[in-house]
This record gives sequence, C-alpha cells and structure tokens, in this order.
Amino acid sequence: MVKLAILLGVPIAMLATVASLGVVVVDVREGGPDGNHIVVPVPLVFAQAALAIAPMAAPVDKLRVPHEAAEHMGLAREVLEALAAAPDGEFVRVEERDQQVVITKEGRTLKVHVTGKRENVTVNVPLHLALQALPGPDGRIRTAALAGALSSVRFTDLVDVRDGNDHVRVWVW
Amino acid sequence: MRKSIQAGIGLLALVAASAAPVAAQTPWLHVRVEEAKDASKVSVNLPLTVVEAVLRATPDLIESHGRIHFDREFDRAHGRHGLKLADLRRAWKELAAVGDAELVTVESDDENVKVVRKGDLVQVFVDHKPRTDKEGKVKKGAEQVRVEIPVSLVDALLSGEGEEANIEAAIVELKKRRGDIVRVQDDDSHVRVWIDEQNTQTPAPAGK
Repeated sequence: MVKLAILLGVPIAMLATVASLGVVVVDVREGGPDGNHIVVPVPLVFAQAALAIAPMAAPVDKLRVPHEAAEHMGLAREVLEALAAAPDGEFVRVEERDQQVVITKEGRTLKVHVTGKRENVTVNVPLHLALQALPGPDGRIRTAALAGALSSVRFTDLVDVRDGNDHVRVWVW
Repeated sequence: MRKSIQAGIGLLALVAASAAPVAAQTPWLHVRVEEAKDASKVSVNLPLTVVEAVLRATPDLIESHGRIHFDREFDRAHGRHGLKLADLRRAWKELAAVGDAELVTVESDDENVKVVRKGDLVQVFVDHKPRTDKEGKVKKGAEQVRVEIPVSLVDALLSGEGEEANIEAAIVELKKRRGDIVRVQDDDSHVRVWIDEQNTQTPAPAGK
C-alpha cells in the first residue's frame, strides 16, 4: 500500500509542482467531423530554463538584433513604457465592410481584436513581457529577464484564433 | 478602533480625491477618418503622453531634446532658400503685436486659402473648388480644410532658438488644448483631429 502511494504520489507531486509553476497550453481544434484536437502543454519552467541557457547554447550574434533595429530600441522602450503608464481605453478602431480591428488597453495588456467574415482573432500582448522582450542598448536580447517576465503572464489568454470551424488557442495557466 | 477606521476611511478618501483629477485630466488625442466610398471608419484615441513618446520615436525628424531642426542641407542641396524659422519667429512676434488680423488670403481658380488670427487661435481655411474634366463632369468634388492652431501652440513651437522648433514645448501646450484642431471635409471623406479628456470618441462640441 505504501509502495503504491509512493508510486502514484511522486509523479502526482512532480506534476503538481510543474503545474504550479505555470504551463503554456497550445490548443488546436480542427473543424469538421474528422478534425483533430491537439493539446500541447509546455511547462513554463521548461521555457524559462531554455531561455536562461540560451546565451550559453546559442552564438552571441543569434541573440542580438540587427544594428539598424537596435538603435531604435530605446525609443521603442519609451513608447511601450508610455503605453503601460497610459490610462485604459480603446486606442484604435478600424471598421471596414468585411473587417473590424480594435486595439484596446486594459490594465497592462494591449488587446488586439480582428473580426472578419470568417475569422476572429484575439491577441493579448502583456506590455510587461513586451518590454522585457526588447533588447538592451547593446542589441542583445535579455533572455534571463524574458524568462523571469514569463511568470508574470500566468492566467493570460495570449492568442485566440477562430477561422471557420478551426480554433487555435494559446494561453498560460 | 473606531478612530482607526475613521482615519483609514479619511486616508482612502484623500487618496481617491488626489487620484481622481489626475485620471480625469488626462488629455487624449483623437483622430477620426471616415470614407464613404470604402465604408470605412478609422478612429484613433491616444493619450498625449503616448503621442509624446511616439514623437520622440522619430529620430530623423527630431534630432535632439524634442527640437526639430529645419533641413538646411536639403535647402542647400536643392538650391532653395525657403523661409527660415528665425525669420518666421521674427514675423510672428510682429504679428502678435497687431492682434486679430487676416494674415493671408490667396484666391485662385483651384482654391481659396485664408489664414486668420482670431483671439487665441490661428485659423486656416482652405477651400478646393470642384474639379471638372473637359466635358464638364465633376472629377473631384469640393474639399474643405479647417485647421485651428492655438496661438500659444505657435508661441511654444517658436520658442526654440535659431532653426529649431520646440516640439516638447508644443506638446506641453497641446496638453492644455481641448477641442478641434483639424477638420478636413471633401465629397468622399471626413477627417477630424481633436483633443479632449475622454478615452472614447464621444464627439466634442464642434469647433471647440
């Protein structure tokens, strides 16, 4: 009985630990009667570990943005910081015959919503994550900071795409 | 205990009272573009703090410290001798002494342009006349452009030195401005730019 408890308890405890640290879930549902349903859960800790060791594994130039882009990063940071500090509201609304695009800011998240005849796309950009994804003044992507910021986006729907009967969803649990 | 609760409520009220005006006074820049032909409507609402940051993100235009340097190299390269900002500044100072006046009037076959200083505003009126082809059919309808620039905004823009326009000072002035800045109306489209304190596009009273 004790052996069984250990056999079941250890993996359950490990799963619970991994889950408690966060999981990125990619959920793909294909439409139609033969449509597949694929769910890929990636423990956040794996993604964070991969990002943390990336500078050791990848060549330095692979983790650096081109010089032309790097010189605008300070300004991009300024814009993102201004957006993060700005009050909530609907920033952009484009209405056309077949399509509607709405960009709103809610809290520290920029929400992009595109509605078309068939498709419906929602992308939520956590501004904190976007700020951490920006490279430093030297053009290097700060993977460790990005890894740290990932935990702040838990319980967030990042992407939701509905195209006809197909549905793709990426969220962090 | 009761005193502690009262003190806590008092403190909360104080924080709320100090925070509320800040939220209410955030100026928002609104742009509304409507095109009848494409049945499209575009609305942009941005806090001026973001506009300020975006303006800073144009390094080719703004070289340093929020000041636009007029393109002397371009003038030299193209053999042009356009109006220097220093000349404009001098002219503006002299116009300020005159008070309300019709500054510019241009009447031509294609368009009428009028620039008027009225009170604390510089108003620009451009009326494009309808264009017709040889058969007399209307190729493009009439177009009206209305621009209202606060005098204080021009003062701020010209507060730089030499060939520099002071964008930072202009933004400070824009933050004080409420109401319409630009209106463009033609037979197909309508563009309006205005500032108010709302984060949505509930239209401000026209003209102000």
